[in-house]
Amino acid sequence: MRDTDSLMSQHLAPIVEKVEAGDRLSADAALCLYRDAPTHQLGQLADLVCRRKHQDGIVTYIVDRNVNYTNVCVAKCNFCAFYRPVGSSEGYVLGFDEIFRKIDETIELGGVQLLLQGGHNPDLPLRWFEDLFRAVKQRYPDFRLHALSPPEVIHLSRLSQLSVPEVIDRLVRAGLDSIPGGGAEILVDRVRTLLHCYGKATSDEWLDVMRHAHRAGLRTTATMMYGTVETLEERLEHLCRLRELQDETGGFTAFITWSFQPAHTERGGSEATGVEYLRTLAIARLVLDNFDNLQASWVTQGGKVGQLSLAFGANDMGSVMIEENVVRAAGAAYCMDEVEIVRNIENAGFIPMRRNMHYEILGGPVFRAREIPRVLELATARAEGDTSVPPELRQYPAKSWVGKAERQRRS
Amino acid sequence: MSDAQGAMGDLTAKVAAGEPLSSQDRDLLVATRDLLALGMLADEARRRRHGDRVTFVRVARMPCRPRQGEPSEVPPTAGEIRIDGPIEDVVQAAARIREVLALSDGQPVSAFTLGELDRWSSENGIPLGDILRQLREAGLELVAEAELDRLERSLEACEAVATSGLTIARVTMKDPPPQGVLSLFAELRSLQSALGSLRAFAPLPRTLSALAPSTGYDDVKQVALARLLVDNVPTIQVDWSLYGPKLAQVALSFGADDVDAVSPVNDAGAEGWRRSALEEIRRNVAAASLVPVERNGRFELL
Repeated sequence: MRDTDSLMSQHLAPIVEKVEAGDRLSADAALCLYRDAPTHQLGQLADLVCRRKHQDGIVTYIVDRNVNYTNVCVAKCNFCAFYRPVGSSEGYVLGFDEIFRKIDETIELGGVQLLLQGGHNPDLPLRWFEDLFRAVKQRYPDFRLHALSPPEVIHLSRLSQLSVPEVIDRLVRAGLDSIPGGGAEILVDRVRTLLHCYGKATSDEWLDVMRHAHRAGLRTTATMMYGTVETLEERLEHLCRLRELQDETGGFTAFITWSFQPAHTERGGSEATGVEYLRTLAIARLVLDNFDNLQASWVTQGGKVGQLSLAFGANDMGSVMIEENVVRAAGAAYCMDEVEIVRNIENAGFIPMRRNMHYEILGGPVFRAREIPRVLELATARAEGDTSVPPELRQYPAKSWVGKAERQRRS
Repeated sequence: MSDAQGAMGDLTAKVAAGEPLSSQDRDLLVATRDLLALGMLADEARRRRHGDRVTFVRVARMPCRPRQGEPSEVPPTAGEIRIDGPIEDVVQAAARIREVLALSDGQPVSAFTLGELDRWSSENGIPLGDILRQLREAGLELVAEAELDRLERSLEACEAVATSGLTIARVTMKDPPPQGVLSLFAELRSLQSALGSLRAFAPLPRTLSALAPSTGYDDVKQVALARLLVDNVPTIQVDWSLYGPKLAQVALSFGADDVDAVSPVNDAGAEGWRRSALEEIRRNVAAASLVPVERNGRFELL
C-alpha cells in the first residue's frame, strides 16, 4: 500500500468504524468520507448500510408518468431549460382531456399514479388544480396523484393569499395523495440566491411545506440537485437538514439526487460526472440514516450508471416514467421501459418488485403478467407544434396581463 | 466475513504484489457477485502498472472512399487518423492512405480491421502478408482494429501484421456471445504470450444492441476481468464515443487506463469552452482522481 493511502486509511478508519457500527455520521465526518474515501470504499459502505435496511434483496420501481401541466413559469431559475415566460408562444397549459388521455395510457402500461409538476403559472389559480384533482379522482378513483412540489405549493399560497397549510388542506380534499420533493435544489440560501431560486422558496420555506404536509398526514419525497455552485460542505448541509426534518416528522419516503443538466440553460457549464454521481449517492445513503429508500436517477445518468447505483446505496430504480419533459429540455434523453428496468435489476442480482408511492409492494413486473407494448422513447407533454389552448381555461381568472387579455379575447 | 469475501481479500495482497493468479483465483474472480471488490482488485492492478495516469487519444475518422464534396481536412489536434473501410481494392486503398498521410502532419494513420483484410485476402486469393506490405509501403502505420471474435486464424493474421512492419492499434471484440467472452480473453492472453507486441485491448463489444444494451454491471465487470485476466496486455481501453463519458469514466475505476476515440474537434461551440471534447475528457479523468495525459496512436505522450 502506498504511504499516502496508508495515511488516508488511518484518517478514515474511525469514521468507517462508525458506519460499520451503525452510528450516525456528523457532517464533518461525512465530509471526510465524501472528500477522501476511495470510490469503491464509499460504495461498499453505502451498500452495507443499504443491505442492512433491505435484507430481502428486493429492488423496487414504480410505473407512473411524469406530466408537466404547464411550462409557463415566473420563477426564472437559471438552471432550468424547461420554463417559458408568461406570454411566450412556446408556453402551454395541458387541458383536462389531455391529462385524462395520459392517465389512460399510463393505466394501459400498468401505471398507478401521475407525478404532476409544472411551472409557476400565474394564470392557473388554486381552483384549477382542485377541479383537475377532483375530476381525476372521479374518473379514476384508485389512481394516485403525486403532485405539486413545495415551490408550487408556495406559489399557490401566494397566488391565493392562503396559508401553506390551508392550500395543502384544500388540495388534499380535492384528491392530492402525496407531494414530490422537487425544487429543493440545494437547501442553502447562498446557493439558492445564486441559482435565482431563492424567490420561489427559501430553504426554510421548502422544509416548512414538507413539515406541514407531513403533519397533514401526507408522505413526500426529498431531492437534491447538485453540481452548480455549491460546495461539498453545502451538499452535506442539505442532507443534514433533510435528516433533521425526517427525525422530526418521519414523513419522507425516499431521497433522490441528480446532477444539474446544463444544456440550453441560462447557467450553462458542464455536468457533474458519473463517478461524482455515484459518490454523492453513496454519501447520501450514509448521512440519511433515517431514510429507507434511495432512488437511482437513470433519467439523468443513463441506464448503465443508473444500474450501478444499486451498488452504491440505491434500493429503487425510480420510475418507468413514460413521459419526461424537464430533463429532456436540458439535454438528457435516456429511456428505460419496464422490461429494461427489470432486466437491469435482475442483472445486478436483485429481485424486481413494483411499488406505489408509499413503497408498498404491488407485485411483480406487469409485462410478465400481460402483454404490454415496449417503450423505446419517452413521450413529451405535447406533440411538436401543438399550440392549442384548453377550452376550460376560460373559466379561471388569470393574474398576468397577458393571461387576462388572452382569456378576454377567447370568452 | 464469508469465505468468498475472505478469498477476495487474499487476492488483494496477491494483486498488489504483482503475483500471477492461479486458475482457482481466476475462477473466483469470474464467479464473484461482489462488483466493488472486483473493481478494487482491478484498480490495484491498473495502478501497479500505470500509477495515476490515464491516457487518451483523439481520433479523426476518414472514409476509405470519400463522397464527392466531402471535406478532406484532418483536425490538427488528432493523434490518430483512422481510415474506415470497407476495403474494396488494395490499389485504391493504398492511394487513399497516401492521400490521408499527406494531410496527417506526422500523426500515425490507421486503417481497416484485420478481419476484413483477412477476408478480402481469402476472397481475392492474395496473401494477407502481401496486402499488408502494400498498405505499409503506402504509409500505413497501424491496423486500426483486430476484432478477436472475427478472426479465424488469429495468430497467423497477427503475425502477418508484425512481419509486414505494421502494428495493431487495438484488439477489440465486435459482438461476442456473453458465454464466449472468457475464452476470447484466454485466447488473447495466449496470443500475446506468443507475439508480445499487442499494446491495447478494448474489452467491451463494438456492437451495441438498442433493445437490450449491455448493462453497467456487465460492462464494468468485463473491464475489470480484462485487466485481471489478460494481464500481459498493458493497456485496457474504453471507447469514449461508443460508451459515452459516464460509463467510460466509471470504467477507469474498474481497471481501464486508456480512453479511445475522443473527438479531435475542439471548437467550443454554443455550449462554451468547458463542454469541448478535450475539456470533457480531462475533467472526467480528473474527477475520477486520475491524471489525464494525451497520447497519439503510437502511444507517444503528447
